[in-house]
Amino acid sequence: MAIAEEKRFINLINEHQGLIHKVCIMYENDPDVRNDLFQEIVFQLWKSFSTFRGEAKITTWMYRIALNTAISGFRKQTRNVKTEDLKELHLNISEGWADDREEEVQRLHWAIRQLSEIERAMIMMALEEVPYEEIAETIGITQNNVRVRMNRIREKLKKLMCP
Amino acid sequence: MELEDLKSIWKSSEPTFQPKNETEIASMLTGRSRSIIEKLKRNVWFELVLTLVVSVALLVYALALTSGMLQKAFISILVICLAYTFYYIKKLMLLNRFNPANENVHANLVSLIDSLEGYLKFYRRSYSILYPLYFGLVLLLGAIERGTTQFLEHLSKPKTIAYLLFMAAVVFFLCTSFTNWYLKKLYGNHLDKLKGLLKDLEQ
Repeated sequence: MAIAEEKRFINLINEHQGLIHKVCIMYENDPDVRNDLFQEIVFQLWKSFSTFRGEAKITTWMYRIALNTAISGFRKQTRNVKTEDLKELHLNISEGWADDREEEVQRLHWAIRQLSEIERAMIMMALEEVPYEEIAETIGITQNNVRVRMNRIREKLKKLMCP
Repeated sequence: MELEDLKSIWKSSEPTFQPKNETEIASMLTGRSRSIIEKLKRNVWFELVLTLVVSVALLVYALALTSGMLQKAFISILVICLAYTFYYIKKLMLLNRFNPANENVHANLVSLIDSLEGYLKFYRRSYSILYPLYFGLVLLLGAIERGTTQFLEHLSKPKTIAYLLFMAAVVFFLCTSFTNWYLKKLYGNHLDKLKGLLKDLEQ
């Protein structure tokens, strides 16, 4: 029974691991810390897997736990990497990119990293086509609040990407 | 720039990552958690086990002594060590109350802040109670050593009272400052970060 549940869980993670990787990329730049965060998210998902009854969509449940872990539950050991990586990334953007689309992508990723951790969670879900209703449910605010905040985030990104 | 434009940029380049295979995922299920609550729990368990080990060692040593001041001192420390085990159990109970699993980000932040604040408050309060206890123990040992009559005579001197009050104030100030600094260093910054996130969410 326990083995079957473990197998089911591993299949689930296998199928949706892109979601966890994206959350990790959104919150951590250092590959080692990112890997630790991935592991912690999987561990937390496994801990609450038995209580998941399917009231919410599986991805909503996964986003909720992944974001909770990334935002408030995870304490990384290396703390100086992030700033250095951001500086490096910013430098690359300043130096120019051969490909315009690639530059836009990098600029968007850089701009998202300038947002607050909550805003990052919201924009990531919106970009991944998660409906506002589910974003509201995951974050714990009203749909109206999501709309207002998304407008603010969009304005911030616009300013950051096209100063 | 509309949200649809941003989505189009976002989707034009999927982030690259090394997919984990089933064996790697399976190994993650048995690992150690690095969440703050789990770390706190591990610390408390470590302190609890250490206290119990020290208590047993003290008991064995105290029983081996024939009698006298040293034996009484060891037994007093042993009593404090045993009192500590209840303190650690209470700490674990406070930490076990936190169950973040299926809550949304807002509820999780509120719950985590409450748990951490409650834990830190209990930590500070328990130390505030323990300092006078230690002080009382020192006085008691002094009384045993000198004999009650001589001790009370010595204690009634204004110079002794002033000295004791001064020492109590210094020890209390130093210990409280150290506890506050230690807690701030260990968990305070994380708590401040969590409060900042909640403030951001509630704006």
